[in-house]
Amino acid sequence: MAALTIQKVNKVYNKTVHALQDITFEIQEGELFGLVGPDGAGKSTLFNILTTLLLPDSGDIQILGMDLINDYKQVRQEIGYLPGTFSLYPDLSVKENLDFFAVMYKSDIEANMDLIRPIWRQIEPFSKRKAGKLSGGMKQKLALCCALIHRPKILFLDEPTTGVDPVSRKEFWEILQTIRTQGITVLVSTPYMDEATLCDRIALIQNGKILGIDTPEAIIEHFKGTLYTFKSANIFSLLEALKRCPLQCNYYPYGEHCHIAFYEDMETAMPQFLQFLEDNQQEHGDIEPIRPSIEDCFIEIVKMNRHE
Amino acid sequence: MKELRMILRKEFIHIIRDRITLLLVLAMPVALVLLFGFTISTDIHNARIAVLDHSKDTQSQAFVRKLSSSNYFQVVSYPNTETEIDFQFKENNIKLAIIIPQNFENELENEHNATIQVIDDVSDLNIASILNNYVRSVVQDFQNEYNQTSTLGESFSITTKMKYNPNMESVYMFVPGIITLIMILVTALMSSITLAREKETGTMRMLFITPVKKIYVVIGKVIPYMIISFLSTIVIIIISVFVFKMPLNGSILFLLLLCIIFMLTAASFGMLISTISTTQLDAMMITMMGLFLPTVLLSGFLFPLNSMPMIFQILANIFPAKWFILAIKDVMIKGSGFFDVWPYLTILFGMAVIFISISLKMLDKRN
Repeated sequence: MAALTIQKVNKVYNKTVHALQDITFEIQEGELFGLVGPDGAGKSTLFNILTTLLLPDSGDIQILGMDLINDYKQVRQEIGYLPGTFSLYPDLSVKENLDFFAVMYKSDIEANMDLIRPIWRQIEPFSKRKAGKLSGGMKQKLALCCALIHRPKILFLDEPTTGVDPVSRKEFWEILQTIRTQGITVLVSTPYMDEATLCDRIALIQNGKILGIDTPEAIIEHFKGTLYTFKSANIFSLLEALKRCPLQCNYYPYGEHCHIAFYEDMETAMPQFLQFLEDNQQEHGDIEPIRPSIEDCFIEIVKMNRHE
Repeated sequence: MKELRMILRKEFIHIIRDRITLLLVLAMPVALVLLFGFTISTDIHNARIAVLDHSKDTQSQAFVRKLSSSNYFQVVSYPNTETEIDFQFKENNIKLAIIIPQNFENELENEHNATIQVIDDVSDLNIASILNNYVRSVVQDFQNEYNQTSTLGESFSITTKMKYNPNMESVYMFVPGIITLIMILVTALMSSITLAREKETGTMRMLFITPVKKIYVVIGKVIPYMIISFLSTIVIIIISVFVFKMPLNGSILFLLLLCIIFMLTAASFGMLISTISTTQLDAMMITMMGLFLPTVLLSGFLFPLNSMPMIFQILANIFPAKWFILAIKDVMIKGSGFFDVWPYLTILFGMAVIFISISLKMLDKRN
């Protein structure tokens, strides 16, 4: 059963900025769904709508069988929200913050302790410390406890790992996996492509449009080009030279490598490409085929959409 | 209700942990009232006055000698007509004029009812009021001495004529004014700033997505500051009555009720401001410009209203402070009760209802 059904949701700011355009997708109960896209793609706007803080201009949203727009008061009891920026009371202690939100949700900490215990155990030693004095990762864990204290059926996480160190990020995703096992549907947004593979399904979003929705494996499966990676002595001159490449290809820097996806028959294309690099006096390392990552897929999809 | 109690508890934690603001909020009323009180009650020596003596008899001259021998007054001119007095006032040569009518001695001795007329320049009402009291005390002295030499009963009346500000306000005017300022600063300003702070830090969003009623969130924010400003008001009243001997003729309970109603008006204005402002700076600027300044300038607290251009007198009506000051003065000085000041109360209460309903409407919008 679908926990969340979004149909043709539109939001325009100031009559000119089209923040969301015909957003349509479904999230199944118990799913860990990722919303992946760069900054300014419309992720936070969508979260604001889903958490009943903002009204869409048009469109229909069903959440757990309720109409999100009209039954927003009942919806609030069933959703949990972890905003992108730290939004707890910095001058209240860890325990005080948790107590406060428990009462706000008419919830009982003891009754829901089994749900948050794995997270709570990590921050409990600091329960008397003021929330503003916690480290970034700890702050997020506390915020997650507060968002879960009323045992919501759907949890919305808006970029929970932005600005969090890699170790804490990994821990945080492990926590998300355990939350899922409790039957809570999770919608998480992230600008980090590597995190997308940890989701059941992901939606790629850019400029307020959904560019594709699928499991991470299927998205990688559907990569159309043939992808190669290689190192270059001078990446800037290489990228400059590639602009003149006559082959159907898409190239971009990827860490210290250059990724290039060809849309040609590689039997004939590869010799042509090697010839091209030589003609343009580009020194390069071994050109090796690789399996595309979600980021490669995202770049391809964005590129294709631009051409359409 | 459990939610409201929790919000209140949380708000008090905020207040107690923010030491500087707490100190400011508690110390400000005391500092203000002492500052104003001691500045205003400063003694005035050798004020320049004019005496127009129509009698020119023994007693009237004795009275004038009494006046000039006191440290308070310096008789700088003896005009012959009232027109001359007017001229002297306009030239700002004198602060006060005394007119002794004809047959002063005769009336004093035979009819036991002598009258002198005092003309005050009330454009500075504080000075005028102090000088008036000095005249009274000189008259009192004069009368006591006169009674010692004469076995006749005493009778002496003073008629006072005000110039430039006929409804002369009492020197205690500053007390209602300070109570008003404190209530606006603490109730309206502090609550609008803290509400805006929750918007700024994002905690307001977190609260609004919980099932808690928005009205609880707002009430929970406002009540702590109402309590603080109520305590401040009591401190101000205690200081003014016991340190500055301000009369408190009305019922103290009714006075406190009046303060509570005004606090409600100020708090509802604070709520309204916080719904339209998104940052603490916005909230502060709007409260300062929209409420605090008009209160200082247009409430009749520092500057008498009826000497202002008509447009400002009309404008003053839309700010709650004017009505509150009118009511509190009547209650404290004239000893008025509910039936005398109910129109003011109704206006204040009506304003609160309007502000609260607009802000609740605004809070319910989801954009």
